[in-house]
Amino acid sequence: MAAVSFLKVLRLILAAQVFQRPLRTGLTVIGVALGVSASVAVRTANVDVLRSFEQAVLTVAGPTTLEISGGELGLDERIITAVRNVPGVRSSAPVILQTAVIERGDRQEAVQVLGLDLLAEVESRGFRLTGQSADRRLEAMLDPHTILLGKGLAAEWGVSVGETIDLQVGPGSVACKIIGLLEDATDRTALWNRLAVMDIAAAQVVFGMVGRLDRIDLVTEKDRGVEEVAQAVRAVVPPTVTVERPSSRTAQVDHMMRAFRLNVTVLSWVGLLVGMFLIYNTMAFAVAQRRREIGIYRAIGMTQARVAGLFLSEAAVLGLAGGLLGSAAGFLLARELVKLLSRTISDLYVPIGVGNGLALESDWLWRLASEGIFVGCAVSMIGSVGPSMNAARTAPVRALAPGDYEAGQRLRVGALGMGGFILLVLAGVLSMADPVDGVPLAGYASTLCLLAGLSCIAPICVTSWRRGIRPPGFQSTMGGIMRAIAIDHASRNPGRNGVSISALMVGLSIMIGVLVMIKSFRHTVEIWVSETVMADVIVAPSLWLRGTEAGSTGRSLPGSWAEVLSSIPGVAEVDTYRDVRVAVQGRRVAIVSRDLRIHARMSRYWVRQGDSASQLVRAADIDGVLVSEILADQLRIQEGDSLELVTPEGARRFPVVAVFYDYATDGGKILMDRRLYQSLWRDDLVTVFPVYLDRGADLDLVREHMAARLSDIGGRLPPLLISNAELRKEVLEIFDRTFLLTYVLEAIAVVIAMLGIVNTLVTSVLERQRELATLRAIGAGDRQIGQLVLWEAAYLGLIGIGLGLVGGGALAVLLIQVINKQSFGWTIHTIVPLGGILQAVGLAAAATLVAGYVPSRWAARQSIVEGLREE
Amino acid sequence: MLGFCQGCAVLNRYAIRLPVRAKPGRQHGVVEDAGTRMVVLKRLSKIYARGGALVTALCEVDLDIKEGDFCAFVGPSGCGKSTLLNLVAGLDQPTSGEIILDGRSTVGFSNAEWTAMRRETIGIVFQAFHLVPALTAEENVALPLLLRGEGRRDVMKRVDEMLEMVGMSPRRSHRPGELSGGEQQRVAIARALAHRPRLLLADEPTGNLDSHQGAEIMTLLKTLATAGKQTVLLVTHSRHAAQTADYIWTMQDGRLVARIERTKEPVSL
Repeated sequence: MAAVSFLKVLRLILAAQVFQRPLRTGLTVIGVALGVSASVAVRTANVDVLRSFEQAVLTVAGPTTLEISGGELGLDERIITAVRNVPGVRSSAPVILQTAVIERGDRQEAVQVLGLDLLAEVESRGFRLTGQSADRRLEAMLDPHTILLGKGLAAEWGVSVGETIDLQVGPGSVACKIIGLLEDATDRTALWNRLAVMDIAAAQVVFGMVGRLDRIDLVTEKDRGVEEVAQAVRAVVPPTVTVERPSSRTAQVDHMMRAFRLNVTVLSWVGLLVGMFLIYNTMAFAVAQRRREIGIYRAIGMTQARVAGLFLSEAAVLGLAGGLLGSAAGFLLARELVKLLSRTISDLYVPIGVGNGLALESDWLWRLASEGIFVGCAVSMIGSVGPSMNAARTAPVRALAPGDYEAGQRLRVGALGMGGFILLVLAGVLSMADPVDGVPLAGYASTLCLLAGLSCIAPICVTSWRRGIRPPGFQSTMGGIMRAIAIDHASRNPGRNGVSISALMVGLSIMIGVLVMIKSFRHTVEIWVSETVMADVIVAPSLWLRGTEAGSTGRSLPGSWAEVLSSIPGVAEVDTYRDVRVAVQGRRVAIVSRDLRIHARMSRYWVRQGDSASQLVRAADIDGVLVSEILADQLRIQEGDSLELVTPEGARRFPVVAVFYDYATDGGKILMDRRLYQSLWRDDLVTVFPVYLDRGADLDLVREHMAARLSDIGGRLPPLLISNAELRKEVLEIFDRTFLLTYVLEAIAVVIAMLGIVNTLVTSVLERQRELATLRAIGAGDRQIGQLVLWEAAYLGLIGIGLGLVGGGALAVLLIQVINKQSFGWTIHTIVPLGGILQAVGLAAAATLVAGYVPSRWAARQSIVEGLREE
Repeated sequence: MLGFCQGCAVLNRYAIRLPVRAKPGRQHGVVEDAGTRMVVLKRLSKIYARGGALVTALCEVDLDIKEGDFCAFVGPSGCGKSTLLNLVAGLDQPTSGEIILDGRSTVGFSNAEWTAMRRETIGIVFQAFHLVPALTAEENVALPLLLRGEGRRDVMKRVDEMLEMVGMSPRRSHRPGELSGGEQQRVAIARALAHRPRLLLADEPTGNLDSHQGAEIMTLLKTLATAGKQTVLLVTHSRHAAQTADYIWTMQDGRLVARIERTKEPVSL
């Protein structure tokens, strides 16, 4: 019964809060919603990208329990014979997975083409065919110029069974007749709708992989353990080949991008943190404003716990509304983030395709929405703990006594400032700790301590600065008087204003910290590119820049082209750059091979110690390797050590000649001479040809000659002929794309901080209605009232900006030296982008004044008589 | 509560602001004497909406006050005294009727015009003093002068003069929180008169003071207003305070019901 009454009281109070203060309630709910939307969007996009990848892997895998993969180098198809005889293997199926480009007119679309043994697998992979009769279809399947096209793709391209489409593939253009349409056998996925399938033999011909496979899919006996069979298979396949469950590919991708996802997720929480400040602010004012009401509740018998519960429940309801709105907005934002995230992951890690909207099942969406709502409520309730406790502790006699709203809650700014100082010291100590399992946990904790420490210092800045800023004596100018009133008022509420300043400080700190980190990183990458990418022209395969697509044939060129290119007038040197991914001590590492002597003459690597040219020549001389800084740190090796690699010729140790800085991937890189690589991996393909021109050669003319000569060779798609400047631009575009997501999340945090300022100033205006009405009664005009509110905004903004500059600087150091270093291993050379910082400060100042403008206009419109009646 | 007269009943019903209509007759409380008129009210009404009901605070009041008059308005709580003062000060808008201040009709006045009127012509003393807590006594007194854009030297001279007049020079650097009620009201009077307004509106200036302080404040107010030849409209509950005035108007249910000229017999309206 008591609980029911309490709920009734709660409902009444909530309704009053919402209807009496719709602006502030709205601002608070929007603030929470924005914070929730950022975290829901990032979480949803992360889950969606991984789930899509996993679904794609598992759908195509069908009943497969083990996969044998040769990575980018592929497999010799003869392995399948040995594998079939392994005990426990029930069936084995060859697979080719490549990318082709469908082309018609100006329109192009990359499509994944799967080569399968259709005679054996047409019923078992989870797709069904529509179109021709089964007999004629099977017959047609063996024709190398036929294809089964996903129903969705066919509809998009307006083609049907019996028509022919042109496929651009690595070795050239092929016209394929559509002999059937694919659709998913169940309604659970729509993956097959967007794939193309060929018979394995046809795929080998079309993709120039005769005798080779990308993968062999195994189905193991049910009575045998999968791992047991995997061990047996490993014993009969070459050591460079991997044998694993299909699901472990998802786990690998998950692990690979863990640091990236974690950093993005943590950044998305900043919005929640700032939203928490907003809630604190709203609830603190609600408690102050309803002090008398609290006194009445307490006087008529409401317990302290109930009073606290009342305010916590109110915050929970605001959080609920914010959570609901934020989840909905988060899903909308996630639709865009999925594209951004999958593009970034494809650029940096593995090709996973570019997502097109959300593909998550409804149960996942419900789960994520529930999480968002829970987070909204939790953040609101945590933010309101302080004010609620304050309300509960209010003594009825004091609460009922006349006086200022804030009389009952004087803040101990000195003690809080001391706490802030201790937190800052703790932040320094934590920044020196090592990562835990590759995760910079102490770095994150240090960031939290830094921001919390500065937040605790904010109230003392409000009160101390007041004493410092107000000139002594009689203020005999209008500006002086206005400033004095504004500053005095701001400093009368160090708690609430401190929180708003903290919100601004956090927003600006994040803005400056991330800006310094990104600009420094970009500067470092620019130096790295300009010092290491010296070739005048890069001859690359057609799909080289399409980082999002799977398959190796569109990403390599024949080694024999080196001679062709060398013979073109104006060409001085042609290097042969090969980049393949292999597993090194459980990590996916890039093995890069090239002619180190040519590179030593014409270009350089940014080595950690010594001279690039001599180290490269030495590596070529002694069959040594150069290792990227990230891999060296991960494997704890340095110059002079040796590194063991599993090659097709067996395990072998290589002397580490040098360690070099590399910013292309956080997965690590090993560089060796092409001669050494070919002798071990027996791979004649080249990923790109860096071409150096004679001094004075005409770049465009040489490119024209190259295009002509290479088209003469025929059979292949025309390669990309990228100039040095174009390549540098592309690298920086990828870089900028990677950090676009960061800017989006940062902007959300800043917007919430601005809402905090608006909320504070609206609160301040509400609280000062009598004072403002008095001023108007004695002759102050709208402009002067507006100025007063703007002065207060400027005062709060100035303190927030000051603290934000300190926080931003410290955060930049933490991000560059601790979090980034521990997460990815990159050494970033710090620069101070003064222009960018000034812009951020200008933006914060302008946003503060804009945030102050709305309440200032509102203040000037309020009734004078009502204002004079306010207590 | 609804309707004291037929006109108000119509207004009550529709709660609308009517245009001013110059109707002859029913000239409640019009002073027939000739001379310069400082405040003229014509059929002034004010109706509030309170919780769904309409409340008539002022009902078709006509009033004519000469320059230099010291008038007091008395009556029970809720009779419309403060509403009358608020309307004359432009702090609130009438539902109907006309206010003429210093010969100027205020019908259709914008916010800015009312602000200018208060800045130039009107000074207000409040019951709750309403000093700006952030400012010292002298800064509070300087405020209306600074709002008028007066020069620093003039402001300082006038502030010194006013503080001297109200006897607050020794406490000039104190903030309102450090002053007693009587002292705060002295500063408020100095602030109200600092810009030499021709019309002083005082809303219960002794309401928050004890009788001794109240008497002192009324004496001060009378002395200063007389010296400055200001017209004073005083709203008060206190008979003693009202005795200071030249004319005492009694209000009831939003209407002026009686006028007493201190030197003559009461006139029933």
